[in-house]
Amino acid sequence: MNVRKTYGGFVAVAGLSLAIADREFVVLVGPSGCGKSTTLRMIAGLEDITGGTISIGSKVVNGLQPKDRDIAMVFQNYALYQHMSVYDNLAFGLRNRRVAEAQIDAAVRNAARILSIEPLLERRPRQLSGGQQQRVALGRCIVRNPKVFLFDEPLSNLDAQLRAQMRLEIKELRQRVPTTSVFVTHDQVEAMTLGDRIVVMKDGLVQQVGSPLELYRRPVNRFVASFIGSPAMNFIDMAVTAEPDRFRLSADGIDLELPQRRFAGLGAHAGRSVTMGVRPQHLRLAAADAAAHEHVTLSGKLMVTEQLGDEQVLAVRIGEGDIRVAGVDPELVLAAGTRIDVAVPLDNLQLFDTASGAAIR
Amino acid sequence: MTAPKAVLAPRSPGFFAALAPGGRRALFLLAIIATCLLFAFPVCWLVLTSLRPGYAVYYVHRGGDFTLDNFQEVLRQEIVLKALWNSFAISTLATVLSLGVTVTSGYMLSRFRGPVPTVWFGAIYVFRCVPYVSWVLPLYFVTRAVGIFDTYWGLLLPHVAVHICFFSWIMKGFFDGIDPSMEYAAMIDGCSRWGAFLRVALPAAVPGLTALAILCWLYTWNEFLFALILTAQNTPILTVVMAQFVHELGMEWHLMSATAVLALGPALIVTIFGQKYVIRGLKI
Repeated sequence: MNVRKTYGGFVAVAGLSLAIADREFVVLVGPSGCGKSTTLRMIAGLEDITGGTISIGSKVVNGLQPKDRDIAMVFQNYALYQHMSVYDNLAFGLRNRRVAEAQIDAAVRNAARILSIEPLLERRPRQLSGGQQQRVALGRCIVRNPKVFLFDEPLSNLDAQLRAQMRLEIKELRQRVPTTSVFVTHDQVEAMTLGDRIVVMKDGLVQQVGSPLELYRRPVNRFVASFIGSPAMNFIDMAVTAEPDRFRLSADGIDLELPQRRFAGLGAHAGRSVTMGVRPQHLRLAAADAAAHEHVTLSGKLMVTEQLGDEQVLAVRIGEGDIRVAGVDPELVLAAGTRIDVAVPLDNLQLFDTASGAAIR
Repeated sequence: MTAPKAVLAPRSPGFFAALAPGGRRALFLLAIIATCLLFAFPVCWLVLTSLRPGYAVYYVHRGGDFTLDNFQEVLRQEIVLKALWNSFAISTLATVLSLGVTVTSGYMLSRFRGPVPTVWFGAIYVFRCVPYVSWVLPLYFVTRAVGIFDTYWGLLLPHVAVHICFFSWIMKGFFDGIDPSMEYAAMIDGCSRWGAFLRVALPAAVPGLTALAILCWLYTWNEFLFALILTAQNTPILTVVMAQFVHELGMEWHLMSATAVLALGPALIVTIFGQKYVIRGLKI
C-alpha cells in the first residue's frame, strides 16, 4: 500500500495504492516510462521499494526474495532458459523447490496439454516460434501454481495477428486457471480486452482505476480519455460564457450552446477555457439519424477519408483543428473539401478543464 | 503530384565486374593462396630447419640431409622437459584461475551499477592504458620482495592479473549479450541471485567462456616477456628455454627450431580443437 520508488531524485512510482481481489485480473497500462513495469517488478521483488508496503495474501513481502513470494512472471522477451529443453524450462521452478520428480512430470504434462505444446517438450527454446515461446513462458507459470501471475508486456514482441490470438488464449487460460494476475502493457486494446480492472498510469502517478467501461465512458481526466479508445478521442479547446439557461462554448469558427441543466459543472468554469472531448465513434453525420438524440452540431470541411471496409473514418477540419468521425457508411462517396455537418450527441460529450485536464461533471 | 523519380547514374563497371566470373574466382583463389603462404612460410621454414643437421641450417634450401637427431638431443635435455611441463601447468592454471575471476568480474560489470563496479571498471581501464612492458620491472621487484620470484606463483599471479584486465571487458560483452530477464525468471523460479548466475547466466555464456579459455591458454603458452624476467633456473618456461639456444658460443638454430616445433604441437592441438568454439564464441 502506498508504494513508492525513487531513483536518486527521480520519482518512478509515486504513492501507488491498490488492493487487488483474489482471482482478479488487473491491467497496468500507460505510455512508456510511466512506472508500470517498475510497479510490477516491485511486486515481483526484482526492484526494492523506497517506501510503503506490498502484501500478497495476508503476508507482507517487502523484505522477501522473489523466490519466496510465490509468484510467477511472464517476460516481454519470454526469458526462456536457452540451454534447457522446453520440458526442463517448465520443470526448473519445481525442481528448485525439491518437488518429487513424478509430481513434476505430471505438472509439466498437464501444463503442456493446456497450452498444446506437448510435441515441443524435447525442443530447445531457440527452435520455437515467438508464439510457441510465449506459450512455454505461460506454461512455466502454470506448473508452479503460484498465488499471483505477473505479466510484463508479454505480447509486445509478437506480430499483430499472433498478438490477437494470444490475447484470446490468455483469456481462455484464465478460465481454466483462475489466478490473481497483474498484467502490464502499453497497448490500450490489450488493457480493455483482458482486464477486470484497469489502472491507467502516467509519470509514476495513477490516473484512474476502474473497469474497462468506466474508463471508456467516464474518464477522470483528459489523459485517460485520450489514452483509452481507438481512434483516439477528439479534443477541442473552447471558451465558456454563461448565459441564462445555457452555456455558450466558442472557439475559432465554432459556436455551441449547451443546456445548463445537463452541464451544471460548467458553471464554475464560466469565463475560462475548457476542452470538449468526444469519441470518433459517437459522432454522426448530421443528415442521418442524429435527430433522435439531443445533440449539438459542428460544421466543417472534409479533409481526408480512410476506408476500412466496414466503416469509413473521416478527418473533418473544424475551426483550426481536425476531428475524426468513425463509423461512417463505407458506401458513402464523399469528395474532399465537401462541407459536412457533424452531430455531437450530448450524452457522449465529455468536458475537461483545459488547464488541469480534470473532467468536469 | 508526381513522385520525384530517382535518377541513377550509370555506374562504370568496376575492375572485378569487368572480369569474367571464372577470372574473378581465380583472382580470389590466388589471393587466398598468397595469404596462406604468407602465414605458412615461416612455419614451414621452422619445421624444415628442425629437421636439418646442425651444419646445414644455413642451407635449408640446398641438400637432402634430414634427421630427427635434433629432437632427440633436445628431449634428452632435462630443462626442456621440465619447461614443457611448466609451460603446460602455468598455462592451464592461469586459464582456470583467471577465468574464475573474469567470469564474476565481467558479470558484475555487465549487471550491476554502483561505486564498486565503477571503481573496478576504472581500475581495469587504467591498467589497460599502461603499456604492458612497463609492468615487468616493478613486478620483478615485487615478486622478489614477496619471495615468490622464480616460482609458479611468481609467474601465475602476474599472468592472472593481466588476463583479468584484458578479458573482463570481453566477458562483460558476452554477458551484455545475454538477456538479464532470464536471470530474473530464474530468481522468481526459486533461485537466489547467485543461483541465477550459476545456473542460468553461466551456462548461457559457455560458448564465450570456451573461446576465452582457449585464447587465454594460447596467450600464456606463447608468452615470453613475463617468463623471461620473472623466472630463473627453478622454473624454466618453454619460450625462455627456446631462446637460450642463442648463447655466447653461437646460435644453435637446429635445436631451437626443434624446441619450437615441440612447442607448436600443443598449441596446434588446442587451436584445431578450439577454433570452432572460438569462432562461435566471438560471434555472440
